[in-house]
Amino acid sequence: MKPQTWRRLRQTTQVLALGLFLYLFVFVPPQSAWSDLFYRLDPLVALTATLAGRTLLLGLAWAGLTLLLTLVFGRAWCGWLCPFGTVLEWLSPKRWRPQRKRTQPPKPPEGWRNIKYVLLFVVLFAALMGNQTLLFLDPITIMTRTMATTIWPLLRYAVYQVEAALYQVEFLWGPLDWVHQAVIYPLFQDVEAVFIQAGPIFLFFAVIVALNWWAERFWCRYLCPLGGLLGLVSKLALVRREVGDDCVACVLCTQNCPTATIDPAQGYRSDPAECTVCYDCMVSCPREGIAFRWQNPDWQPAAWQTYDPRRRTVLASLSLAGVGVALAGVEPVIKRQPATLIRPPGATLTDFASLCIRCGECVRVCPTQGLQPSLFEGGWQNLMTPRLVPRLGYCSYNCHACGQVCPTGAIPNLTLEEKQGTKSGLARIDRDRCLPWAYNTPCIVCEEACPIPDKAIRLEEVETVDAQGEPITLQRPVMVRERCIGCGICEYQCPLGGEAAIRVFTPTEIGG
Amino acid sequence: MDERQKHLTRRAFLRLLALTGLGTTLAACAGGEQGGEQTVAEQSPRPTPKPTAGGEAYLSVARGTDPAAITMAAVAAIGGIERFVKGGDEVIIKPNICTDYYPYEYAATTNPEVVATLVRLCQGAGARRVRVMDKPFGGMPQSAYAKSGIAEAVAEAGGEMEVMNPNKFQMTPIPQGLDFKEWKVYQEILQADVVINVPIAKHHNLARLTLAGKNLLGVAATPNRFHANLGQRIADLVSLVQPTLTVVDAVRILMAHGPTGGNLDDVRLTNTIIASHDIVAADAYATTLFDLTGADIAYVKAAAEMGLGTLNLDSIKIEEITA
Repeated sequence: MKPQTWRRLRQTTQVLALGLFLYLFVFVPPQSAWSDLFYRLDPLVALTATLAGRTLLLGLAWAGLTLLLTLVFGRAWCGWLCPFGTVLEWLSPKRWRPQRKRTQPPKPPEGWRNIKYVLLFVVLFAALMGNQTLLFLDPITIMTRTMATTIWPLLRYAVYQVEAALYQVEFLWGPLDWVHQAVIYPLFQDVEAVFIQAGPIFLFFAVIVALNWWAERFWCRYLCPLGGLLGLVSKLALVRREVGDDCVACVLCTQNCPTATIDPAQGYRSDPAECTVCYDCMVSCPREGIAFRWQNPDWQPAAWQTYDPRRRTVLASLSLAGVGVALAGVEPVIKRQPATLIRPPGATLTDFASLCIRCGECVRVCPTQGLQPSLFEGGWQNLMTPRLVPRLGYCSYNCHACGQVCPTGAIPNLTLEEKQGTKSGLARIDRDRCLPWAYNTPCIVCEEACPIPDKAIRLEEVETVDAQGEPITLQRPVMVRERCIGCGICEYQCPLGGEAAIRVFTPTEIGG
Repeated sequence: MDERQKHLTRRAFLRLLALTGLGTTLAACAGGEQGGEQTVAEQSPRPTPKPTAGGEAYLSVARGTDPAAITMAAVAAIGGIERFVKGGDEVIIKPNICTDYYPYEYAATTNPEVVATLVRLCQGAGARRVRVMDKPFGGMPQSAYAKSGIAEAVAEAGGEMEVMNPNKFQMTPIPQGLDFKEWKVYQEILQADVVINVPIAKHHNLARLTLAGKNLLGVAATPNRFHANLGQRIADLVSLVQPTLTVVDAVRILMAHGPTGGNLDDVRLTNTIIASHDIVAADAYATTLFDLTGADIAYVKAAAEMGLGTLNLDSIKIEEITA
């Protein structure tokens, strides 16, 4: 096959893989086994979740396929399958403009390639110590989280704004209705999705994309811990790039390599741990001097480069991980649960912080979009773990999507009945703000909405006078602590602006 | 560059002026509340429900173990569906699908067979389109439509379940309103030829009972704002929406822990359907199933005082049927 055909095949595979990721993101229901396909294939997640959670998660054995692929073909995942890699390749100056002749900014030092190995070892050692804080650096979690909290809601907002403007013109309603029912509702479910951390999450993503202007595939080269893992495995790859005798040292391949791993000083050979099997070199070679070949019969591990991890890298990473985990142990959250850290239902039944891979799948599937990634509400070591913000979205009584979709079981897959009996929080009525308590005005929307069969809010009737001085019988809400599960629909429905007069906080730490 | 090209030609200037004018006009149409009010239907687009003409009953009460049979009997006794639905009519049926918490046996949502029967009746009368919709306050619409069993029943009957479109809640003046003078209300409800209000009779702590009047909250935006003066505000809404026909589902009624329910012990099987063109009278009769009267319910009383109907059951012709 011609080099151009190989590259075309790779690009098609990229489109299909990213397309599959996006399709699963938008359409697949949480109970389907396909919903966490990319997490099952991700060996970094498989390793850390198994180590930190101290449990063998069988679903993640699919990650073995990716490792097998890497053992045979090298970092083909990065060049062919990784949805984040595809996005980074497309959002890069090389893709849209031919190579400029003018001077490029000086490239980062080669030594920086070591950073991804340090991150990898820190992540693995921390996982060994039960900590998954840095899993937000996994590329699949970055994609899911960024899509769920910024890109998709952004798109949704724009679409609904345009739609709302068009709906002001009544004679357009016919075609607009058709578009709404056929396209907009199936995609966006008419949910007003707002995210507290959209700014920082988008900034994180945008900075990584912007780094492509400094060096192409900056993240993949210098930072990606999954890239580091696959890179180490790729040192043993069975199929590698080889430079033949036809090479005339034209340097074209070096200029075209997206990870800049082709070294003129080493006869235009490349490091299989850095090569993403993109075939740009092969396509640019005027002489057919480059080929990807099976390494038998003379297979041996690839040469160790100066930036590759040494024993001291591993020891330094171990120390860093140790210090980090110990520092996490000094955070107040391990002694006292913060008031606003309402976890998804059932999360307190598991070793949540150790199992959560900060992927954002639960945030994605929550039908009311009440689950939000936390910033520091749970301490810095729980960055990007989910929490419920009832004012933005309640925990829907007839739903257990988050438990169904969680790839590692950090949120247990409870049945609907189990979930309806699990306490996530406890509501508290602020009598200084509540309309019947503070203003002698009838309300009790909270009691009306409460889904518990016997109601977790009871009413005290009092004969009093209203604001106009007229005698009224007023009903005032009072919590029934034993029944409240902290779903937050009371807080969500409370008609007060700003903070609701009834708010859900973390459940009582004593039983009952 | 040619000297002339640096200046704006007359043609270019006129084109720019036209485009700016068009753009400004479009922006003005799209912007703010002004645009919304101009597209709103005229007040009371539907004729106020017809009073009794021939010998049919003002209000009917049908009792029996088959929900479909008693629904048909109740409607027949007040003049048949032909009195309310003409060929080519656009019909919207508004049941109570307030939450997705429990199936219909828990008496929190309208009986699916009753809704399906009404769909079939309307189609039999030659309606152009029969749609069924509500906006739940607990759970997602699709989930609530499914859990209540109404989606399946309506599909079998050949009707259309429709998720209410958030864009169609637009500010509407309420000329007869005593508390609310205007509110964001679902436009299609106001524009439909026929609106059939099909509540289920339930206990409700604030309202005491949630019946046909309270059921209309599903067509108002931000219904939570009604509770501070629930009686008058619901009556104001009734004066705007003016449903053509009210059919109160009392096949099962919820005696306690309403409006969401969840205890089968709170459900009483009363096997009854109440039908009338008069929403106030229908509600007044429904209260008797709970040993109350229409005057005990604030919104029924307020609507009667506004002249939207009568709660005096002795003054009207009531036909009771066993089917």
